[in-house]
Parts: sequence; C-alpha cells; structure tokens
Amino acid sequence: MNTVELSFQLNGRRVEIQVSPDLMLVDVLRDVLGLTGTKVGCREGECGACAVLLDGEPVNSCILPAFKVGGRAVVTIEGLEGSDGKLDAIQEAFMEAGASQCGFCTPGMILNAKALLNRVPNPNDGEIRKALSGVLCRCTGYQKIIDAVKLAARNTRAASE
Amino acid sequence: MAYSFRDLHWSKDIPVREYLLPKTLSEALDMLAEYDGGARVVAGGTDVVPQLRKRQLQVNALVDISRLPNMNHIEQDGEFIRMGGLVTHAQTAASPLIRKYAGLLASGASWVGSPQIRNIATVSGNLISGQPAADTSIPLLALDASVTLASKDGERSVPLSRFFMGIGKTALDPSREILVEIRFKALASNQGGAYLRLGKRRALVLPMLVAAMVVTVDPERRLFTDAAIAFGPVAPTPYRAINAEERLRGRAVTEEVLAEAGDAALQECTPRDSCLRGSCDYRCEMARVFVRRGVKQALRESGFDWL
Amino acid sequence: MLDKTDETKQAQVLTREKIDLEHLVRTPKADLAVAGKSVVRTDDRLKVRGKLKYGADFPQEGFLHAKILRSPYPHALIRSIDTEAAKQLPGVVAVLTAADVPGRNGFGAIIPDQPVICGDKVRYVGDGVALVAAETEKIAQEALSLIEVVYEPLPAVFDPRDAMKEDAPKIHESGNILSHNKLRKGDVDAGFASADVILERTYQVPFLEHAYLEPDITMAAPQPDGSILVEGPMQAPFTVRRNIAPVLGVPINKVRVRQVHMGGGFGGKEDSPIDIGCRAALLTQHTGRPVRLALEREEVTIQTCKRHPMIMELKVGAKKDGTLTAFHGALYDEQGAYAGLGPLIPPAGGSHIHSMVMMPGPYEIPHVKVDAYLMYTNHPYGGAMRGFGAPQVHIAHEQMMDELAEALGLSPLEIRRKNAFKLGSVTATGQLLDQSVGLRETLEACAEAFDWEGRCRTRGYVDDARTRRRGVGVGMGWYRTSIGTGGDACGANVYVHEDGSVLLFSGITEMGQGSFTVLPQICAEELGVRLEDVRLVMPDTDMAPESGPTVGSRSTTLMGNAIILAARQVKGVILEMASEMLLVPVDRLESKDRKIYDRDRPDRSVPFRDAAARCMSRGKRLIGQGWWAPPPASLDPETGQGNPYFVYTYSTHMAEVIVDIETGEVEVTNYVAAFDVGKAINPRALEGQIEGGVAMGLGYALMEEVAIEQGYIRNVSLQNYLIPTTLDVPNIRSVILEVENRYGPYGAKGIGEMPNIPATPAILNAVADACGGRVRSLPADPEKVFWAIREAGGPPME
Repeated sequence: MNTVELSFQLNGRRVEIQVSPDLMLVDVLRDVLGLTGTKVGCREGECGACAVLLDGEPVNSCILPAFKVGGRAVVTIEGLEGSDGKLDAIQEAFMEAGASQCGFCTPGMILNAKALLNRVPNPNDGEIRKALSGVLCRCTGYQKIIDAVKLAARNTRAASE
Repeated sequence: MAYSFRDLHWSKDIPVREYLLPKTLSEALDMLAEYDGGARVVAGGTDVVPQLRKRQLQVNALVDISRLPNMNHIEQDGEFIRMGGLVTHAQTAASPLIRKYAGLLASGASWVGSPQIRNIATVSGNLISGQPAADTSIPLLALDASVTLASKDGERSVPLSRFFMGIGKTALDPSREILVEIRFKALASNQGGAYLRLGKRRALVLPMLVAAMVVTVDPERRLFTDAAIAFGPVAPTPYRAINAEERLRGRAVTEEVLAEAGDAALQECTPRDSCLRGSCDYRCEMARVFVRRGVKQALRESGFDWL
Repeated sequence: MLDKTDETKQAQVLTREKIDLEHLVRTPKADLAVAGKSVVRTDDRLKVRGKLKYGADFPQEGFLHAKILRSPYPHALIRSIDTEAAKQLPGVVAVLTAADVPGRNGFGAIIPDQPVICGDKVRYVGDGVALVAAETEKIAQEALSLIEVVYEPLPAVFDPRDAMKEDAPKIHESGNILSHNKLRKGDVDAGFASADVILERTYQVPFLEHAYLEPDITMAAPQPDGSILVEGPMQAPFTVRRNIAPVLGVPINKVRVRQVHMGGGFGGKEDSPIDIGCRAALLTQHTGRPVRLALEREEVTIQTCKRHPMIMELKVGAKKDGTLTAFHGALYDEQGAYAGLGPLIPPAGGSHIHSMVMMPGPYEIPHVKVDAYLMYTNHPYGGAMRGFGAPQVHIAHEQMMDELAEALGLSPLEIRRKNAFKLGSVTATGQLLDQSVGLRETLEACAEAFDWEGRCRTRGYVDDARTRRRGVGVGMGWYRTSIGTGGDACGANVYVHEDGSVLLFSGITEMGQGSFTVLPQICAEELGVRLEDVRLVMPDTDMAPESGPTVGSRSTTLMGNAIILAARQVKGVILEMASEMLLVPVDRLESKDRKIYDRDRPDRSVPFRDAAARCMSRGKRLIGQGWWAPPPASLDPETGQGNPYFVYTYSTHMAEVIVDIETGEVEVTNYVAAFDVGKAINPRALEGQIEGGVAMGLGYALMEEVAIEQGYIRNVSLQNYLIPTTLDVPNIRSVILEVENRYGPYGAKGIGEMPNIPATPAILNAVADACGGRVRSLPADPEKVFWAIREAGGPPME
C-alpha cells in the first residue's frame, strides 16, 4: 500500500510523516512515532485506555483513523509535562493520591480528567464520575482516581490564587 | 459450527486501501460513485471502524466527510429544528436549542457510548447504523423526524418511519448517498418528551430497553390529543408502539389510561430472547413500566403535573 | 490429670515453640521509618508520564509475529491437518503442528494436560491446533486462514453434573471427575437432629473473566549462549519456566523468564503466560528468531482461563438462638477442558480443595460434611481469579446466613455474632485459630463506620411513587495467606554496595498491587536505609531465587520475611564493621535513615555507606540471602482435617443499595469494608487494593458473567462482558485493623484477594433486604432481580 503524507500538531509541535491510510491514530502514535504512553486495551472504543485529546476533547484513538487528525491538534500523555520536566497538576495529584495501580488506564484517565478540569475547574464527584465514565479501570475501584481529580482541582486553584 | 474463522482469530488491522478527504459534498458523492460500492462514508467512524476490523464490512476506501461545510448546524427554521449530518452527540446533548425543544433527543445523545465516543460520533451515523436501539434513532422516531439524503441525482427526504429497513439496514444507499440533514418539529408548549434507558450497568452499555415518547395534550380538557412512543430493541428496527399510542389518543390523562397503554405496549413488543440483552418476557414487562414512567415524565417536563 | 483443654493448650504451646524455632521472624512493631508508611509507589512517576513500558511497548524490530489457530469445536477429533499452503505463503517462517513439539506436548500450572499444540483432539473452543510465525501480523493471520483442518465433532458436555455421569463423553482418558474431596468433622446427622431450623439452598455462579486492561502478550528470543529468554506480563515466572523447559526438551537452566510490567493480573496472568510462553518459545526454538505473540482482547476471552463456575448445595442447621449445629455441603466445581489451577497440590494447594475448606465459612460449626467434586467439561478452563475458589463459596454461605437469620427472626448481625470465629475457635478442618483472629473486631468496626443501626432505620421506600427501596446487607469473610502446598516458600537476595545503595532480588511480580513498593519498603526498613536506596531488580529467573508465584495473597508475608532474613544477614556484617568503627557492642547498634548509631548515645554514629565501604575494602561479604517457608500445611486426604493455611485475614463488608422494584436495577449507594490485615505496610496502597477489590466483587454480584452457549462465548469483547464503570461504583470507605500476625513481617498478613470476597454477598444480601427478592444464580442483573421480586410475591410489606 502507498503511504500518504499526514501532518498535524502533536503535543504542541508540528509533525509531518508518511503513513499508510489504513492506520488508526493509536498505531501512528505508538508504532510510527514511538510514543507508547497511549495504550491499546480493546480496539473497539470500549475501554478508553487509548484516549487522547483531539482539539482539546477526549477521543478513543484505537478507532480513530489517523488521517482524521490532519491539520488538527493532538495531545497525548507524553504532552502533558512541561519541556522542563515539570508535571501537570493532575499527574502530581495521581501520585499523591495513589490513583494508579497497574497504571494501564492511567494515561486515558489523566487526559479525560485534564479535559474536564479545563472545562469545569471545580467539579463535584458526580461530574468527575460522568467525565471518566468512558475509561475502564479494573484495579482501583475508581475511588482514588476521583480523589486525585479533586486534589488536582484544589491544587490548581490554590496555585492560581 | 457456531464460530467462523473470524470469530476465533482477530486482527488489529482494517483492510482499507485509501482514505479520502473530500472538501465538498459534490466531491464526496463523486468519490462514492467512482468506487461503485467499494467505498464507505465515515463521519466519526466509531461504528464503521470496528465493523471493518471484524470484517463485517468489506470496502476498499473510506470517504471521510467530516470536513464538509454546512453540515454542522443546529438551527431553528420556523417550527422545525434542522441538524446537519455532521452534528456530534456531544454537540446535540449540549445544544440549548435541542435541550429546550427536543429534550428527549438531548438525553438520548448523552447516553451513546462514552464521552470519548460522543465527542466524535455523529447523530446521522447513529441513524445509519440501523441498530434497533440506537439512542438517537429512538427519540428521533418519536419526534417523527425525517432525513435528507443527498446523491448525485439530488436530494430526497425520507421520514424515519420509512428509513429503518432491518438490523443494520436503512433506506440510505451507502454506495451513493450521504445523510446531510435531520429535521423534526420542535416540541410545542402543549407537548412534552421523555427518554428512558435500561442497561446492565450505568455507562458504556448497549441497552436492554430504550424508550422515547412525545405526548401532546389538550390542557383545558386534560386529554392526550396525540402520542408517539418509540422503543428499541423490541423488533428488528426502532419501533413505534402504535397500539399503545392508540390507547392514549383522545383519552383522559389518568393512571388507568396509562396502565392500558402500558399493557398494550407489553403485548405489541416482540423482542427475541437474548442472553446478553434480556428475555422477551422481561423486556415486554419493562416496556409497560417505561410507558407509564415516560408519559409521566413527559407531562411533568412540559409543566403538566397532573399525575 | 490434665483435662482436655489443658492438654490441647499444652500441645499447642509445644507446637508453637517448635514452629517459632523454624518460622518466626521477629520484627519491631513500633518506630518504623519506612514500612507502615503510605509512600508514593516507586513506579508511579513513570506511570503518570506514560513512560512505564508494558509488553506491547517493547520495540518490535526483528521479531516474528506469531498467531495461534484455534479449534472451532468444543469437542472433536482432529482427523487431518494440512499446512502446506500456509507454509508456502511468502513471509511465513514457520507453521507448527503437534508433531513439531520436541519435548513434552503439554503444559499446565499443576497438571500439564493441555497440549501446546493439539494433535489428536480438541477439548474446548479456542484450543490451539497450529502455530504460525511470520514477518508481519497480517501475513500470520492470512497463513492461519490457509491451514486446513478436518475435524470429527464429538458429543460435548457442558454441565459438570452431566460430566459426572457414567455415559458422559470422556474429555480426558482419565475420566471427567478430576477429584472427589471430602471434609468430615463430627456427625452431621446428630447435628441436624439437634437443630431447630434446617434450610436447604442451592447457589450457582457462572464463569468470570479477569478483564485486566492489558491483553496478554509474550516475547521469546534466543540468547547468544543458546538459552531462550521469554518475557512478558506474568505473575509466575518460575512456573512459566518449569513448563517451557520440558516442552522444548531442554533443562530448566536453559530457559530464562523475566517479568515485564503488567497491566493487571488478578490471577489470570498466573497461567495465561504459560500458554503463550510455551508457544512463543517453541517458535523461537524452531526458527532461531525472536517471536512476539500478542492476543487481541477477544482472543484473551476465548483462550485464557476463567474463574471456576460452581453449583453449591447447602444444608445448614441452627438452633433458635442462631447457633449453627451442622453444615452439609455439596460442591460441583467446573474445571473446564484442562486442569488449570483446580486440582490438588498436596496437602492443601489448588483452588478446589481451597473451596472445600472454605465452604462452611468463618463460623464455629461442630458438625461438618462436605463433598466437593471437580469435573472436566468442554468449556474454557478454570484458573486462578482473585480469591481462588473462595469468592464462590462465600456467596453461598453468606446468603445462607442471612436466609437462616430471616427464618429465625434474628438480624444478620446477631446470627454472625453468635457464630463468628474468634481467638481459640476451631475451624471445619479442625484447625485451632491460635493467633491473629480479628474477624469479630472487623464486624464491630464496620457496623460502627457504616452506622448499621442508623441505616437499618432508613430502609424501605425512598420515593413517593414507591418504586425504589433501600436496603442494607453484610458479608463476612476470611482468606488465607499462602497457598497450602508442600513447597510454599520464598527466597530473596540483597546486595549492598560500597555507596550504600542496595539491589533487591525477588521473584515476586508487580501487577498493580504494589509489591514493587512494599517489598523495597520492608528491605529499606530492615537495613536502615531510605526507600530510594533500594532498587528492586525486575523478577528474572536467572537472578532471583525461587520465589513461587505472586498469588494467594502470599507476597508481602512470605517474601517480606525472606527479604528481612536476607537484609538481616548482610546487615549483620555491616553492623559488625560499624561496631569496630564505633567501639560499641553490636547489640547496642541501630540502623536507621542511613545512619548506624549507639542506641544509648545516638550522637555516636557512622554513616551506613561508610560501614559498607569498609566491609567492601576488607573483603567482607555484602550479600544477604533469605529463605522463608510458612509453618507446614496439613490436610488429611480422607477427612479434610488439618491446618491447611497458617494464618487468615478477616473482613466484614456492609453495603447499602437502592433497588428499583419495577425494573430490578440496583444502585449501590454506600459501602464500608473493614479488614484485619495484621499490619499495613503501605496503608494507602492497601486502601487501593480494598477499593479495587470491592469494585470487582460488585461486578460479580450485579453484572459479570461469561455468557457461554454450547461451548461458545457470546460476549468475547469488553462491549458485552460488563465490568463496573465510574458510574456503577460508590465511594468506598475502608477501615483497617491490625491484629498482629506473629509470623508476618511487622505483623502483616495478606490482603490482595480478601477485598473482593465479601463484597459480592454483602451486596446480594442488601438487595434481598431492599426488595425481598433473592438471587441465588448470579449475576443479579436487573432481569434476575425483577423475577426474584415476582417470585417472592412482591417487595416486603412495610
């Protein structure tokens, strides 16, 4: 199969690559660009482990054809930390709250949480649970993930005051 | 043999050769024609891509229509609401217009899949999937919506009552047509809508039963002047419970009348026994419960707190 | 003349002294610096940045891609197999059939009865009949489709009770009944005769899927020295190794197995890595090239092990005041097509014997009779799933306790208070619980935190329309630490370097439960260094001592003790040196926070690293080795009497639910779980285990089942195999009690599996309380609850 040029914004930088047109975004990220932080759990858009942000909104990259993102902005888990290595408030909160166990759903959870906090800086339990309802976790029972999002919200507010 | 080769041996790839991104509707239709059945339209892709992976669909090319102009609108047009073919479930659920004039559709759209799916999957894609319990098909059927299908021959309007042909099949010819608009009458002040869903868990689940209804009342005489009740999956296509509707039309708004309508719904629904989605008996029982709850909810939401 | 109690006590003291001599590892219980603290996990930073590498994240350059051809029949003979066309496909490097297995064509965690490649027959849908290795996955997939197999279908058997019949189709030559195990204590007839109430009930549970988020994957590669390296997510590297070696026909020391970070295990990755590991290793040996075998999600469901389904028949007798007098149980345990983790490893290993031993519950019952049958069927096979046969029987006895309470007019708490284990109780196997029994304490602590009395008063309808009713339920449980086999033991090595940094070698794996943090915590505590000074080397059979599998909630306790002994050995050398340096006797020295100091005069100290450096320069051995086995297990094969597991963790859960009585939908609205864990080495990680376990138990209660019809699984994907989402799980509060385990590091005992065990019956009991309908065949999905309410004649009268 021929490859076609695909260019898009990835974690704030412009990317131009040649990929075959049958690839999903998750395969471009993992196999072509070597960013393996985005995980594959099911390949049918059910588990959310593959979630990335597309123009700021969470989408499942395992069923997203790569060419859909042409000219658009994608953010993966690798894109959350600053170039100086400083972690996002949500990442810090996940560690402090103990919200990761096996860690496989963590990137998907963090990105969905990030999109939520961008929209709703002070979400309640119900809003957090609804926003994260598209990412499955088998390890944590979700409790500490909810706690982490609330902690991140608090810390972000405190930092801006 | 109950398992085919594909049921036992799964791939990660989808066997597509070309990914096309037309810039205009005309270009998109030309591409479809060129492939003569070998191409498929994708908007969000959340149905088509898994189908391709499972080899339930075999095409050579995908025609991605998500860049087409003039298909993202949600607008009021007289007594109608018009939604473009690229409107997503997230947009629908959040739209002030839809929430005000077709709350049942906003509710239905908010239940599809998960937040990630709703961000990219389109309502028109949900209709085209032809699934008997598609969460926006059911409210749109209750709203007596119609869809505009564009082809190289022009446009044609198809009411939803004639759109669903069977499981996975609709009146849209995927080899040459694109769904460009959905249209329905906004709820009037003497109308109320409701949407209900029953599933085995609270998110990311195909429903055991989903229902949507629109009731029209005569506030002076406290009568139902009209009723539209849609269910899924109780038949191969989204289903209008016409017998239940008949029990309400012209009748007084009372618990007894509601009960009659519920009984009629129980009788007329014919779902199969499904080990995953529930038995026929149970889902018919739930149809009865949903009629009562749904109609009451519709009345309450339109301010008619009579029951 | 000593009376019986004194005799027993004296015998107990003598036994205790003997056991202590061999097995007691004394540890301080207070003033801990690292252990007992909720430290951030050592691998968290990598996880939140997306940098932790799981199996599928490894580079694939140079790897062949492997695929398995699977049987489409649940039971069939293989008449012929033609691989020629597949072999000819460009890009295909190998196509293997049974004839190509050089060594033993069989694998299995306990009995190697599952063919690596089926030769003469297949026994479940998904059984492997050929292996393909090709340059790409696409080519491998196409090659599979070119292999022609001619099957002769055989009659299949799907119900374990049918499998027991004389005329049932034979799945294995040895017959369909793998075992019939017996537990006999006292005289149940006498017990029933003295009962005021006798209830008989049958409870049934389906196959369950682990549904770990990370699909199985393995990578095998030939090493320059001729050995083969197999790595991937796995809970039992040593079990994988001891299976691969005979399959390849090589000695154990020619196979190296290494764990890669795991996206969840829950017991499933105890034996699925044996399956794909043997197959990938075989292809590597055959082709001389690295091989990658990755399963798609659906293939994980079809091929890998499940939680055992069971039919449990209980007959229990009790007196008017709730005292239990007799327990008669029949257990029909479905093993599936292969032995998996069901059969007995003497004296008390294997899930089936564990189920039998646990079946009467954590209650004092003088007369007990259990007949437990383990059967092959033409279904996927039973492995280990969080609880290893205990969750199922808890669902039975905890519901039975509630049903008895109802029949007697007692509250669910009263009947449990009457019978629950306490220090000095004797179990159904005749085991004297002589230490670390916090069961009753968990009941009281849970009741208080949950406000059982208060919540009882708010039961009933919650809405004016009278469609939703609130109810509360309790579930109690116990779970062993250790696996009850003759060879249950752990080894650890600790190396200290001249700069004070430490390498820890252990074969216990990390699957998210936190072992990679907790075990270094114990090591750092014992040595007196900081957590960050200890680096745990990825479990590797070439480097770690035999450690057994990461199962049975044994890791913290057994490996913790081994690590303490290892650390103590090398610390001894360092303290001797420090004693020389400080001119202080060794027995006055403490090591804490990188300093070795005189306990009486703390200002007299020397840095830990300086003492270590001097040892190095003086040729002293800075290597510590530890080995720990629990007190020996025993279980009489005829009567089931003995001490199968040396200590138990105890727990009480309480759930509040609201049931929609018109639809049968259940919402869990409040939840408290109390545990006696001996000692929490990392309280926050422990809470995480509790919360996740409760969610898993909730799934078992309300929504999970592998829907299998005529041998075919109908819900192979995560779309239709339903696990709880954020909207299904309530906030969960944990109460942690510590009733010290004499034989555990700092008093600890196991916790990994306990949390998901009482959760299921607590929720089922709450549902029954709310709506009057009792679901005895899981899951209690809305439809089942609806019919149960109908069967009960409607919700309870107010």
